[in-house]
Amino acid sequence: MLRFMRQENSKIRDTLWVVTCLGFVLASLGDARAEEDLKVRGLQVYKNLCADCHGDDGKGVAGASESPLHGTRSIEDLTRVIVQTMPEDDPDACVGEEAEAVSRYIYNAFYSPASRLGTSANRVQLSHFTKQQYAIALSDILSMSRGNAPANKIWKKGGLKGIYYNDRRHNNKEKKIERIDPVIDFDFQEGTPSEELEKKEEFAIRWQGSIWVEEDGDYEFIMVTENGARLWLNGEQSPLIDEWTASHGPPRENRATIRLIGGRGYPLRLDMFKFKDKRSSMVLKWKPPHGPEEVIPASVLSDQGTYEIFVPTTTLPADDRVFGYERGISVSKDWHAATTAGALEVAAYVANNIDRLAKTREQDEDRADKARKYCEKLVELALRRPLSDDEKQFYVGRFFEGEEHLDAAIKRCVLLTFKSPRFLYPTIENNPPDDFDRATRLALALWNSVPDRALFEAAEKGQLNTLEQIATHSKRMLEDPRAHKKMRDFLHVWLQLNEKEVGAKNEELFPEFDPLVLADLRRSLNMQLDEVVWSDSSDFRQLLLAEEVFLNARLAKIYGVEREFEAEFEKVRFEPEHRAGVLTHPYLMASLAFHDLSSPIHRGVFVTRRLLGRNLNPPPQATEFKDGDFQHGMTTREKVAVMTEPAACMSCHNVINPLGFSLEHFDAIGRYRDHEADKPIDASAIYVSEFGEEIKFNGAKDLARFISENKTAHGSFVDQLFHETIKHPIDAFGEGTRENLIEKFEKSGYNIRELWLEIAKVSTLHRHSPESEGSDVAQN
Amino acid sequence: MSHKTRRRFIQELGLSSATLPLLMGLPSVASAARQSTRKQRLVVMFTPNGVVQKNFWPEQTGSEFTLPESLKPLEPYQDQTLVLKGVCDRVRGDGDSHMRGMSCLLTGIELFPGNIQGGSHTPAGWASGLSMDQEIKNFLQSKAETQTRFGSLEFGVNVPDRADPWTRMVYSGPNKPVAPINDPYRMFEKLYGSVKDQAHLRSVLDGIHEDLAKVRPHISREDHHVLEDHAELVRGLEAELTAAKDQELQVPPPEQTPGIKETNENMPLISKMQIELMVSAFANDLARVSTLQYTRSVGQAKMSWIGVDDDHHGLSHKPDSDEDSQEKLTKINKWFCEELAHLVKRLAETPEPDGSGSLLDNTTIVWTNELGKGNSHTLDDIPFVLVGGGLDFKMGRSLQYERVAHNRLLMAFAHSFGHHVETFGNPDFCGDGVLGDLT
Repeated sequence: MLRFMRQENSKIRDTLWVVTCLGFVLASLGDARAEEDLKVRGLQVYKNLCADCHGDDGKGVAGASESPLHGTRSIEDLTRVIVQTMPEDDPDACVGEEAEAVSRYIYNAFYSPASRLGTSANRVQLSHFTKQQYAIALSDILSMSRGNAPANKIWKKGGLKGIYYNDRRHNNKEKKIERIDPVIDFDFQEGTPSEELEKKEEFAIRWQGSIWVEEDGDYEFIMVTENGARLWLNGEQSPLIDEWTASHGPPRENRATIRLIGGRGYPLRLDMFKFKDKRSSMVLKWKPPHGPEEVIPASVLSDQGTYEIFVPTTTLPADDRVFGYERGISVSKDWHAATTAGALEVAAYVANNIDRLAKTREQDEDRADKARKYCEKLVELALRRPLSDDEKQFYVGRFFEGEEHLDAAIKRCVLLTFKSPRFLYPTIENNPPDDFDRATRLALALWNSVPDRALFEAAEKGQLNTLEQIATHSKRMLEDPRAHKKMRDFLHVWLQLNEKEVGAKNEELFPEFDPLVLADLRRSLNMQLDEVVWSDSSDFRQLLLAEEVFLNARLAKIYGVEREFEAEFEKVRFEPEHRAGVLTHPYLMASLAFHDLSSPIHRGVFVTRRLLGRNLNPPPQATEFKDGDFQHGMTTREKVAVMTEPAACMSCHNVINPLGFSLEHFDAIGRYRDHEADKPIDASAIYVSEFGEEIKFNGAKDLARFISENKTAHGSFVDQLFHETIKHPIDAFGEGTRENLIEKFEKSGYNIRELWLEIAKVSTLHRHSPESEGSDVAQN
Repeated sequence: MSHKTRRRFIQELGLSSATLPLLMGLPSVASAARQSTRKQRLVVMFTPNGVVQKNFWPEQTGSEFTLPESLKPLEPYQDQTLVLKGVCDRVRGDGDSHMRGMSCLLTGIELFPGNIQGGSHTPAGWASGLSMDQEIKNFLQSKAETQTRFGSLEFGVNVPDRADPWTRMVYSGPNKPVAPINDPYRMFEKLYGSVKDQAHLRSVLDGIHEDLAKVRPHISREDHHVLEDHAELVRGLEAELTAAKDQELQVPPPEQTPGIKETNENMPLISKMQIELMVSAFANDLARVSTLQYTRSVGQAKMSWIGVDDDHHGLSHKPDSDEDSQEKLTKINKWFCEELAHLVKRLAETPEPDGSGSLLDNTTIVWTNELGKGNSHTLDDIPFVLVGGGLDFKMGRSLQYERVAHNRLLMAFAHSFGHHVETFGNPDFCGDGVLGDLT
């Protein structure tokens, strides 16, 4: 018994810094005295039973418990561990209220991150837009200011509309063909595109529609032709590529880069003509972020039209991630300079496009009035509430009254607005929060953006304060492409895909694994994520248990699936006896691997942190995995076991390794294997939970089933979704909120969408500060 | 103000706005090295559709000559003027005369065959070499003592918004036309945009401070320090803006009348605005090379302000016997010459910031055209009228050459800058080397 407990104790030491949740919440203020009593009692218990081994301040005692008592376990978990295992020599000595008191004391005095970071961990700090929110907000405000929906949904994809003319001038009378062209990859050689165009010497083509982009970032477009051509992207004001005049010669490659926000569609038009050129051809390629250069695939092209969207090119500095998720709390010189550059960019855009935005013309007599009205609307959208007369004067009116030219008035108004703390910090609210504050919270929670017209109108009518009203809007908001994008972004963070680019693989070992395959895999994974989340059941467990994968012909060949494909991608039952949802998706397995070998450590760390929600400290010493250090013929598993043998390593690797070993059936490109060289794969493992239970796995499916049923894993998913979407600590939203969310999540059949809606509701309705503090923002 | 996209705006700055330093150091930073060398500048001014020869070329040669009707506006500067007759664009190949006249004018080399069909002849593409102004710019930019922020500035006056061999005479390389900037507000933004932005920012700083104070009561006490940090950063910006303001330009940016639209009728106003910007850019030493392009080859300006309502290119096709048209064309060219004289005047009355004479003493303007004559479309006797002291040519003369290739004149421009090119453009036209009798 004693022996077992000793072992157990080391386990506890190693795993006290477990669970990403920050469970404890401040007791209500009225109970200050009871609170104080509890604290005194906790301290007494700690001194009597714990301090000998853990030290007075939890920093540890040499020769006893050497690791400091730091961690991220919730107060409830901490209590449970103490009840079951502490003190080491007599676990029954500290149970019940004593255990709870000492757990609270430890938590508040030194254990929790909050105790070490001050009180910031459990309150909503003054926060500005994050880097991503800032770009989206600027874009959406400008779209809404001209009456457009911020993100246009593209319903039908599959190619651009191609219009073919029997002359070189795109003359409508000479229009001969109208059809859908799935991709722009044509070589007409010395002939014409079709028999209907009979002149070899001259013809013209126009392709138009829209392009759907998934990722935020810089997109490079590549137009290859020997003929005259122009490409317009995201607006017809000026072409992205203008190569109308074409000197004879081989096809020319023209490249241009444009910044786009993902999860929305942009207008695209490509005009070309041939005149007395010997040959004609046209290839339209791109290089999207995280993707290879390729002919733009049909799956992102649509013949449906859409409108131009303002996309800022100013980028804010990276956000603070100290808590493991992005928060807008760093007010640095860089940040301030970037917000100035951003405001200048918007000012120039508005001033230069005022006629289009304010629907006026240069010669109109009421041009200045219209511009002023437009600016008032813009300011309302940016500050997310109606303006009082004084505010209209402050932000807009005074600039239009002076001698200044319209251009200067517009720029000054825009600069003041977008440099205003009321724009930059969405957490600046009334106390108590009003309907407009709730509209902002909701828009951030589900879209990373500002309220749309419907939210604004609801707030104006005072119809944004009940659970039901919030629920109605939330449901509607989930339909918006921005919600889909935000969910996708979260899942990428959850799968650690945002941390580094999945690299190329060893060409000798995996000659067929080229950048196109990698891009296909990313698409395949995205399709799977979308399918699970946006299906009726939206079942979290399906992320781990699904036995189907989306494949196309190229992937099927590499992963050994024999099948004919009708669509570009099809859902295929794929090695159902081995595969476990996205956990064994080849893209994820390849991302958690070396360029030549699997990596049980990367995989184990991922499962530990992201799926099971256990915390890990950084390794005490940096160790590089060098293949050459090992005896010839050892398996990867054997090598990892040898490498992590030292006691200093094992404190974490006894958790990491078994989890990683469970995935050993998947090689560096996520292909299933029975053998490594000539040795059979051993994917059996014994995992010891934070409560000391031993669980036996054999392979990925066992592991996935365990995670899908594990309460800590569920809690971890709730925490991560909350933090990634709300960007404030879950503990700041009231005692019991986390537990309630987990319970509802379980009761809903692990419905991800329901969970998100619940998170949006809870966070929107929560009241952060007592009524006595603050006053009404709207009344200044 | 004409619309422009953000993309264009950023392209012009040559930066992404993410990296755009907010307080871009002020443009003219005169280094000791640069002050020690004499500045030399070249301006190429282009006007289209040929000239009425009898009213353009002086009858006499040498230093005693009378300026004919078309050149009368240059009388006050006759001693600084050099008229060169007999210089011919000998480049042939694809493209009609207007296309070659334009795109070979400064390149001296054939157009690539291509897809643009002219009024006659075979279709063509872009010029197959760079233009002399860019050659000289590259030369000056390659040396620290002659480097400037922009190197060259391409001004346009009512150049239509399309890119083809008729609208482009400046080339940074084969197949690489450079578009002129037509819009004086856009040019202002390129030259002095940061100065203007700084003024706008300065004007809203008080408002930002006021706003920060207003939101303070709505922020939890624990976060007041964030707001204080923020206010401190605003004060920092204020200090930087003040410092930037003190760092004066050699000459302040010109005052611009707002709201001048790019219409045919506004051509005289736009011309003056562009000239002011060019003069101020030279005074602030932002560039040593510049082009000023009026409309384009085949340009269709209707100069109602001088009583000509016909379009320019249409008129230029009328026969020599049509007296009325000849008179109108002479008026048109005289108006262009007035614009030239205005530029000369502004350069002459603007001192070099270092006190070494006027800008004109160190600037040569080359006024030229894509054709010798509109109705014949000849590329012989291309107008070349030079004014000013930038190239150290012997001025105050009228010269007549015997059908010399214009490549040799282009080479002479380079040689005046100390850039001793052996050939330029098509070497076949450079046979006898740099054009003689200029210095």
